[in-house]
Amino acid sequence: MTDPPAPTFEARLVQARDISVRLKRAIAQVIVGQDAVVEQVLWGLIAGGHVLLEGNPGLGKTLLVRTLSSCLDLRFSRIQFTPDLMPSDVTGTNVLVMDGSGQGSKGRFELHRGPIFGQVVLADEINRATPKTQSALLEAMQEHAVTIAGTRHALDEPFFVLATENPIEMEGTYPLPEAQLDRFLLKVSVPAPSEDELTEILARTTGKPVADPERVLTRQDVRELQALCREVVVAEPVLRYAARLVNASAPDAAQAPDLVRRAVRYGAGVRGAQSLVLAAKAVALLEGRAHVSFADLQRTAPPVLRHRILLSFEGEADGVSCDQIVRELLASVLTRPAAVERAVQGV
Amino acid sequence: MAAPAQSDFQRAFHRLAKRVHRRHVGRLALTGAGVGLSLGALAALGLWALRWGEWRPLSAGLGALGALVGATLASRRRWSERDLALYFDARLGSHETLTSALAARGSEEPALVHVLERANSVLSNADPKRVKPRLWSRLHALLPAALTAIAVISVLPLPPTPKPAPVAPGAERVQIENLKGLERIEALAHLQGQNPEQDERLKKLAEQAKKLREALAKGLEKREALSEIAKLRDGIAAERLKLGDRQNRPGLEAALRAFANNQALHDAQKALGNGDLTAFDDEMQKLANRAESSDRQAAKDALEEAAKAARAKGAQGLADALDAQKRLFERRESRADALRELAQSMKGKLSAEALDDLKEFGRSGNPEAEKRLADGLERALEGLTPEERKRLGERLQRELEGSGGGASPMSKKQLEELAQQLGRKEGVEQLKKQLRELAKPEPSDDAKREQGLGDAERGGSAAERGLGAMPIPMDGDGAPGTGDPGGKPDPAGSDPRSSAGPGSKRDSGTGDHRGSTPEIAAKELRSKAEARLQAGAPMHGATLGRAPARPGETANQLGTGSLGDAQKTEVGAVDHADIPEEYREQVGRYFEP
Repeated sequence: MTDPPAPTFEARLVQARDISVRLKRAIAQVIVGQDAVVEQVLWGLIAGGHVLLEGNPGLGKTLLVRTLSSCLDLRFSRIQFTPDLMPSDVTGTNVLVMDGSGQGSKGRFELHRGPIFGQVVLADEINRATPKTQSALLEAMQEHAVTIAGTRHALDEPFFVLATENPIEMEGTYPLPEAQLDRFLLKVSVPAPSEDELTEILARTTGKPVADPERVLTRQDVRELQALCREVVVAEPVLRYAARLVNASAPDAAQAPDLVRRAVRYGAGVRGAQSLVLAAKAVALLEGRAHVSFADLQRTAPPVLRHRILLSFEGEADGVSCDQIVRELLASVLTRPAAVERAVQGV
Repeated sequence: MAAPAQSDFQRAFHRLAKRVHRRHVGRLALTGAGVGLSLGALAALGLWALRWGEWRPLSAGLGALGALVGATLASRRRWSERDLALYFDARLGSHETLTSALAARGSEEPALVHVLERANSVLSNADPKRVKPRLWSRLHALLPAALTAIAVISVLPLPPTPKPAPVAPGAERVQIENLKGLERIEALAHLQGQNPEQDERLKKLAEQAKKLREALAKGLEKREALSEIAKLRDGIAAERLKLGDRQNRPGLEAALRAFANNQALHDAQKALGNGDLTAFDDEMQKLANRAESSDRQAAKDALEEAAKAARAKGAQGLADALDAQKRLFERRESRADALRELAQSMKGKLSAEALDDLKEFGRSGNPEAEKRLADGLERALEGLTPEERKRLGERLQRELEGSGGGASPMSKKQLEELAQQLGRKEGVEQLKKQLRELAKPEPSDDAKREQGLGDAERGGSAAERGLGAMPIPMDGDGAPGTGDPGGKPDPAGSDPRSSAGPGSKRDSGTGDHRGSTPEIAAKELRSKAEARLQAGAPMHGATLGRAPARPGETANQLGTGSLGDAQKTEVGAVDHADIPEEYREQVGRYFEP
């Protein structure tokens, strides 16, 4: 019996698109609305990055993550971040285990794995833990491994961290350091539901309990999606546009718009540009394309760049938001050469 | 499978690319033509302004040149494949498929091959009209506008020849055959100077005036002519006797003291004090004519004493003038005595007016009375019979024997001969002639010279006015109260403005002088600042004031320029100003020069 022929690239693309459609449909059985949020979480999953969800309490952040994990055949774990949470509570610790009982029995240390060893990790209210505990996530998020008592333990792939934070309750919270924020591929703002969505939520949640969604993606499917995402083509002009966007976010850059010069202290860096392209690839893949367009970059720019731009004192005093900065960048940085742009506009 | 896809892509891509390139060439050629024609319109306008009418239509050629340049530029600046792909993607809405496919050429990677296939699909379905760049732009509206402008300008009548630029003030040429006033300066040639050197200088001035007259007859720049006249006036003024200057002032004051002892000499003293030698000469004439011998003697003594005092104080010129005046005084005294003696001899035959004139002559010494008396005597002589003339001769002879003839202006022998001849008609004619000589005024040399120089100065002023300039008033130009020779009426009578000013010494009468003040030929003296402020620039000002001109004198002088910047010391005033302490440094810095 011979192996079945490898699917063509086009077939893989179609399959990826089907999977994403099925996944969205499964999530929609539980989550009402929030299409953009679900979409952006999928970008993170496919691009192999982590996602920070920011929104007011009660908007379904945790439910979204739990629903997603239900749809995926991946190990789910949840860490509720509190001020007294210790790093070992996240990573796990070695515990002494006695062989046999009574005198003469030998003891050995056995690793008691923490919740970080899950594949879909929900870091709920991440900004309520101390920086020391928050930093326990750094190695895991960047290198997909944790070091416990000098021993490095690789985490099972795929490894996907979804963190949530509440922007309004700032008392007793610890803002995430820039290094930590930079590890998140996307920062997704979760909006309040519309009237129709809220009505639907009320109808669903106040009646009979809703059954868990079916599992749509296996672990292998996720890895296949992530591999396919890396194969998506990005033309050089598109890469240059991404580079120009990121460079222009620095206030001392020559092409930086006035608002950036005035209101930004630090712009996005190399990791921001990488994230931008990866997220755009995920967008292209979800749309069944094998190449990235300028529009993909423009769609992904707000969630990719908003947490990588540090406002200056003037910016904060003027009430400038990072999303405003990103909008300004998108408006001022040209996608094409000026002559081509004029011809396109028919001027 | 990739190779055919690649060739298909290349073919379809370049087919569209050619269309785009052609449109670009056309567009840039039209733009070049538009710009060229616009420049042509401007050139046509310039040619019109320069009145080079026949060249105007040729400016349309710039349009063709512009089109050529535009097309050449378009050919040289062809879009790259990448730019074309970006353009096609944008126009076709193909999400950068073509741009990505450019990188896929020659690659066997599945993703790139897939992109290439998608690109082929995009190109095959592409509507060529959608990727056609616009040929016309707003800028091309210049084409008809510029062409119309060139056509209109080409048929427009040429502008009239501009008037020549106005010459600088004073640079215009003047040509005057006979400039009035210069002849009075030329008359200086006949004036007797104090010494041979002055004679020479006066002749030189006259010669210069003559040359100027000749130059003006040929034509001369107005400012040059005015400059020459100003030099002549300076030369004339330098020749005038200045009794009040630093050298003569002590001598003059010492001389004046000699006249202070006698009330009869008061007017003479005042004239001398004013430095007016002509008026002084007139006063001396009056004193010499008086019948009162004590006044005459006092005058002679005063003249002698004044000459000594002036000489002692180093005023040699004044002393010489006073000595000359004394000698002239004695001659005038003798002539007046002779006239009086003759009038006494003919007392019975004189008319009542002549007798009044005799009294007036003896009382005031008025030269007018002297002239009238001489005329009366002449008329009385004509009315004498031969018998009466004989008796007049005998009486004259008797009086002559009685007086000894010491005071007569004629010698004893002359009088004896005259008394003998009065019996004949020739003797009478001779006596008449003598009488006319006696009545003729004999001014001093100094007075004559001053009068001549004053007249020449007025001539210079008249010449300046003749050239349209406003002469600077000088001594003797009728200034109020000077009473100097300039105060006399213009002998030529050509210019009423040169008449004597109010309060002149010539106004010796006691009558009503109201309404007799002549118009002063001068503009008012002004001093003003042109307060046209310009930010950051010093204020410009113009002042008309008195400033040193010739040695010891001042003249009207126009001053222009900035009113000056703030000086460091002025900035220091900020420290004392009512400015809050915390702002002083800032305000000081602001005003710092």
